[in-house]
Amino acid sequence: MSVVKEFTKGFWQELPPFRLVLGLCPTLAVTTAAENGLGMGLATTFVLVNSNLIVSILRKVIPSKVRIASYIVVIASFVVMVELLMQAYFYPLFKILGIFIPLIVVNCIILGRAEAFASRNPIVHSLADGLGIGLGFTISLTILGGIREILGSGKFFGAEVMWSTFEPLSFMVKAPGAFVCLGFLLGFMNIISRRRPAH
Amino acid sequence: MRDLIKMIVVLAVICTTSGVVLSYVNSATEAPREYQYVKFVQEPSMKAVLSGYDNDPIKERIKLVAGKDAEGNPIEMVVFPAKKGGETLAIAYSASAKGYHDLIEVMVGVGPDGKLTGVSIMSHTETPGLGARIVEPEFTDQFAGLDLDTTKLSAEGGSVDTLSGATSSTTGVIAAVSAALEQFPQIKKETF
Repeated sequence: MSVVKEFTKGFWQELPPFRLVLGLCPTLAVTTAAENGLGMGLATTFVLVNSNLIVSILRKVIPSKVRIASYIVVIASFVVMVELLMQAYFYPLFKILGIFIPLIVVNCIILGRAEAFASRNPIVHSLADGLGIGLGFTISLTILGGIREILGSGKFFGAEVMWSTFEPLSFMVKAPGAFVCLGFLLGFMNIISRRRPAH
Repeated sequence: MRDLIKMIVVLAVICTTSGVVLSYVNSATEAPREYQYVKFVQEPSMKAVLSGYDNDPIKERIKLVAGKDAEGNPIEMVVFPAKKGGETLAIAYSASAKGYHDLIEVMVGVGPDGKLTGVSIMSHTETPGLGARIVEPEFTDQFAGLDLDTTKLSAEGGSVDTLSGATSSTTGVIAAVSAALEQFPQIKKETF
């Protein structure tokens, strides 16, 4: 597949977490506001792109029997790096995302792409794959976070956007609201896919 | 055998490289991280215990060495001076002690007479609804004006009332504040 195709598939056909149903745990937990979703998505993208890059560079060097151990060390190193960088330059967001930053290590999207793609594809394709899927994930998280923030607290990126008599549905910013919202978005995307039989 | 050696070498190289890169990133980000900690964790507490000053206690913060810990390593402290017209009114610094669950970090403000100007809880992991109520002003306000002798439970002859249902958290805060006040004579020499 061409490099461009590898990049764009992350935005629809293999969009996490709606089409590529992976990475649901952080998705549900951090999308209480659009900004949190955006921050988490970008942190995950940073790790995904870098780990895809390193795994692809080393794909002929890492023996098959120790590949999972090697991928995990690489992924964990980038997660620690992103954690230190967030602590140094984005402290309030770091506090909000809390334990979900180190949990990026076990985000199935990253190990999944390393094993399924980066370990058997050239560097530029792996970079495109990582970047596309990472940015797709970021957009998904931001939209989901935005919907939950608007309905659950009347704000979008912290700014008031609903009419003044709007009663926020605080259910939306809690766990059950996350599931409901995710379910609706998944169903919505399935309807759209079904209307395009060529794909 | 050759496979085994290759596996060991590859893993060792990956892990070593990871360690080297991460220790570089760690030291490169040390200054910004310290600044962020001061700004977001210490500053709000510091502002809660100091008042009436016209300088910037954060910019003028003093780093001192206050004794040694159990392993003989020097203990570094950061002290925030509140000044008016160049004269130091009070200083703020932090201390910690174990509460009910884990360490409680407090910021204390102390005047030149050794009396507290205020106490603020910087961080804790106490039980919500019980020990976590140490952050409430009704609890922390009672420390203002106390000194080392009076920072004890009222049941022990001091002036601090226990938070009901949160005795360990209360004694944790008292331990942290007392630890801070015990260091005051030495800190006073280098700051006032």
